[in-house]
Amino acid sequence: MLKRSFLTGVIALAFSAGLAAAEPAKVLIPANPGGGWDGAGRETMAAFNKSGVFTDGVSFTNKGGAAGTIGLAEFVRTAEGDDNALLVTGVIMVGGAISNKTPVSLDNTTPLARMTNEYNAIAVPADSAIKTPQDFLAALKADPGALSVGGGSAGGVDHVLLALLAKQAGAPVDKINFVSFSGGEILASLGGGKIKAAISGASEFRDFAKSGRIRIIAVTGPNRVEGLDVPTLKETGIPIEIGNWRGFVGAPGMSEAGRKTWLDRFEKLHASDAWKETLKAHGWEDAYLAGDEFKAFIKAEESNWTAALKDVGILK
Amino acid sequence: MMDILQQLLAGFAIALQPINLFWALVGCLLGTAIGVLPGIGPALTIALLLPVTAQVAPESAFIMFAGILYGALYGGSTTSILLNMPGESGSVMTAIEGNRMARNGRGAAALATSAIGSFVAGTLGTLALTFLAPTIAELAFIFGPEDYFALMILSFTSVAVVMGTSRVRGFTALFFGLALGTIGIDTQTGQSRMTFGTLELLDGISFTVVLVSLFAVGETLYVASRQARTAGVVYPLKGGAWMTREDWKRSWKPWLRGALIGFPIGSLPAGGTEIPTFLSYTVERRLSEKPEEFGNGAIEGVAGPEAANNAAAAGILVPLLTLGLPSTATAAVLLAAFQNYGLQPGPLLFATNPGLLWGLIASLFVGNVILLILNLPLVGMWVRLLLIPRPYIYGGIVIFALVGVWGLSTSWMDLLLMCGIGLIGYVARVYDFPIAPALIGLILGPQAEIQLRRALAVSQGDWSVLVGTPIAATLLAIAALVIFLPFFVAKFRGAMHESKA
Amino acid sequence: MSSLDQRKAARPWWLGVAIFAMGALWLYGAAGIASTTNYIGLGPAAMVQVAGGGLAILGILLVIQALRGETFAAQDEEGADAAAPPSRPAFLLALAGVAMPLLTMKMLGFPITAMLAFTLVTHAFGSRRTLLDLAIGALIGTLSWYGFELLGIELGPFIPLLR
Repeated sequence: MLKRSFLTGVIALAFSAGLAAAEPAKVLIPANPGGGWDGAGRETMAAFNKSGVFTDGVSFTNKGGAAGTIGLAEFVRTAEGDDNALLVTGVIMVGGAISNKTPVSLDNTTPLARMTNEYNAIAVPADSAIKTPQDFLAALKADPGALSVGGGSAGGVDHVLLALLAKQAGAPVDKINFVSFSGGEILASLGGGKIKAAISGASEFRDFAKSGRIRIIAVTGPNRVEGLDVPTLKETGIPIEIGNWRGFVGAPGMSEAGRKTWLDRFEKLHASDAWKETLKAHGWEDAYLAGDEFKAFIKAEESNWTAALKDVGILK
Repeated sequence: MMDILQQLLAGFAIALQPINLFWALVGCLLGTAIGVLPGIGPALTIALLLPVTAQVAPESAFIMFAGILYGALYGGSTTSILLNMPGESGSVMTAIEGNRMARNGRGAAALATSAIGSFVAGTLGTLALTFLAPTIAELAFIFGPEDYFALMILSFTSVAVVMGTSRVRGFTALFFGLALGTIGIDTQTGQSRMTFGTLELLDGISFTVVLVSLFAVGETLYVASRQARTAGVVYPLKGGAWMTREDWKRSWKPWLRGALIGFPIGSLPAGGTEIPTFLSYTVERRLSEKPEEFGNGAIEGVAGPEAANNAAAAGILVPLLTLGLPSTATAAVLLAAFQNYGLQPGPLLFATNPGLLWGLIASLFVGNVILLILNLPLVGMWVRLLLIPRPYIYGGIVIFALVGVWGLSTSWMDLLLMCGIGLIGYVARVYDFPIAPALIGLILGPQAEIQLRRALAVSQGDWSVLVGTPIAATLLAIAALVIFLPFFVAKFRGAMHESKA
Repeated sequence: MSSLDQRKAARPWWLGVAIFAMGALWLYGAAGIASTTNYIGLGPAAMVQVAGGGLAILGILLVIQALRGETFAAQDEEGADAAAPPSRPAFLLALAGVAMPLLTMKMLGFPITAMLAFTLVTHAFGSRRTLLDLAIGALIGTLSWYGFELLGIELGPFIPLLR
């Protein structure tokens, strides 16, 4: 008898201990631990804590898959009306929701703030005859199939940028030779001259370019990248600006008060020194855009991406 | 050379400071613990520890990470050998012979050869990293997609030696793995394949889910259904608590060969740690004087792949430290860690921050020693885990499986797959289908496909590119030899025999 | 069961049919993959066709083998006697333990699910100390949940229904 009640006690104790844990801000990260979104989510929340803007603690849930759209669907389904629920988002999710034709999109959420951007760069092997963005466009027009260009996954930012460049060059977009890579393989392939050019994050190329094996010919942001003597596409007369932005959205049906509170917090965070340190440490560009402007921006991105994904043949 | 030695000594001065030794120990313990859990690898652990280490000096943080990296490999082999439950793709081959040994009461010898082999190969790999890194790193630029494709084809020949009793069943397992590997979005074109309209399948079926289901779940169902009521418990130390003289004699060559295979392949950007284990197992089986023991617990089949696995892990650091190229998930996280401290790995790091770098390299040596000291005495304790009553062993296995599967992405679909693929694992055991070919197909299939298609895209559809480089041609020739040589040798012997008669 | 009986029982022609069906499914799926217009040496459907075609052929071979009377003998596993008659109740209990999470994980959360799965599996292996098993399962489940919480991964809410 004594043994039985003792064991029942163990069961009860085991469960009650778990329930006692407090749960403040609930951040859903739509990717598995260790990736770009995971870092963006966790580092931003750490900066909140460090700057003293929001110190009530955070619980993270990782829900990866399908370019973040699985996390998005989960968020829309479970977080309805929860003022403390946040979802990490970004351009990849916009593209993913379109190409996977998900029933929910970012329109179902409450946009709060775009925080960071990582712009792309175009690079070629150091001994390549391509020296300028114009050379690149000329090569693309001459024979798009012969210009093998490495990048991230098909349908991602890199792929879409190549399609935009092909359009700009007047080359047939359905003939571009985009070769998908993951991880550091793309740098080795480019450095070894296995591919003719590559598109990836500017900071990734910048550090590798110091070895002298590759040459960066252009970056895709509105401004030049610190520590890189390379023109932007716009400077050279190519009206293209594209980057891998990340931000936060709130739950569907978030209360007006809750939305105000978080908008206020993001504004304070953006002004804090802790945030500036975070940006610097990770090589992220500041891309703060909040509230209704962010909402309008997402709308614009959605229509741009729908067009671009049709061009590259991913969307029929 | 003298210069490197001096720097390395300075590195040891850093790594052997008490506080850093402490961090190395923490890393080794943590690494061993996560290595035991399926699906939780060093990449994930280091990623999650990144914010924590902002408080620690860079040297200490990297020394701890080195411990995690190596510790996970030591821990991973334990569950493979004792429970036939490999937690990571790199320890699949270890399970084949290792678990047989454990069933014959030779678990202790299997764990010991795996620990010592890991130490030997880890140390050799670290030595190569110390003295040859810049040279080996050049391989990264020489290998093109066609060369990688040839390397994959060579690795595929390992299927031939894990085929089991029937070719048809072996190939069925292989093609089952290949078929599973096609599920998900095709990275080259962005088209979804075999996803049946489900979002959850767009990223493909996670390798961990398949591994856990086929091994842990399948085995649990099978043993539950077939336990003889009177089955006597195998006394886990029946075959002795330590390696015999013969075990040593049969282990040392596989250790060295494993290290030799593992390090260069690991240092390739698309090499990884699985391919060396496949190749090492094949080599050991082909070279063995007692090939009939393979499949029944041949110690060479544990010693070789484990050594290859650890040497490959050292190899992964080569492109990372010398070029700043992350080649695996773990390397990518380590790169992020460097960047957190405002450091950029690459040739410049050797000049700007030699203390950190040589401290890290020295700590790899230290970590290996710590892990050997930790693991050898533990062998006896681990093996005694098998004395736990069977209901609790398998109950625990199922909870571990749940942790691995549910922890990945808390996805209901993964639970469904675990149940379904677990049943397939059960059926495979009932009707004698081998498991290993399915996993080889699942691991290598998608990699081979990507490299093949990259090669063809770059060459604009010219298939001759596949034999267009000396490396690719050589590797394919070796693959052909591996497949056909035993056949010819048998014929030749047969002919000899006839002529004598 | 004598070895002769077993040989009769182990003629799984239906397995060949299942493998063939899987191959056919893959071939059918490959036909539905839109071939992109993009320049590329080999399309996304090729590998699916190879895998599907291989499985279909192997399925047919398996059926032929089974009809010809080739043995598909069970494997000897640790503590499992291949010649022993399979125990259906034990198998079903273990299967229930593995399938249980499908029903309970979303509503009741990881610790309770782990407790139930653990208890079902221990009972499949002959344990009859239900309360002790529940306690051990709850303990391991909760400890795992906490361990991951410490690492920064949530294995779902502790008990989702109460949230």
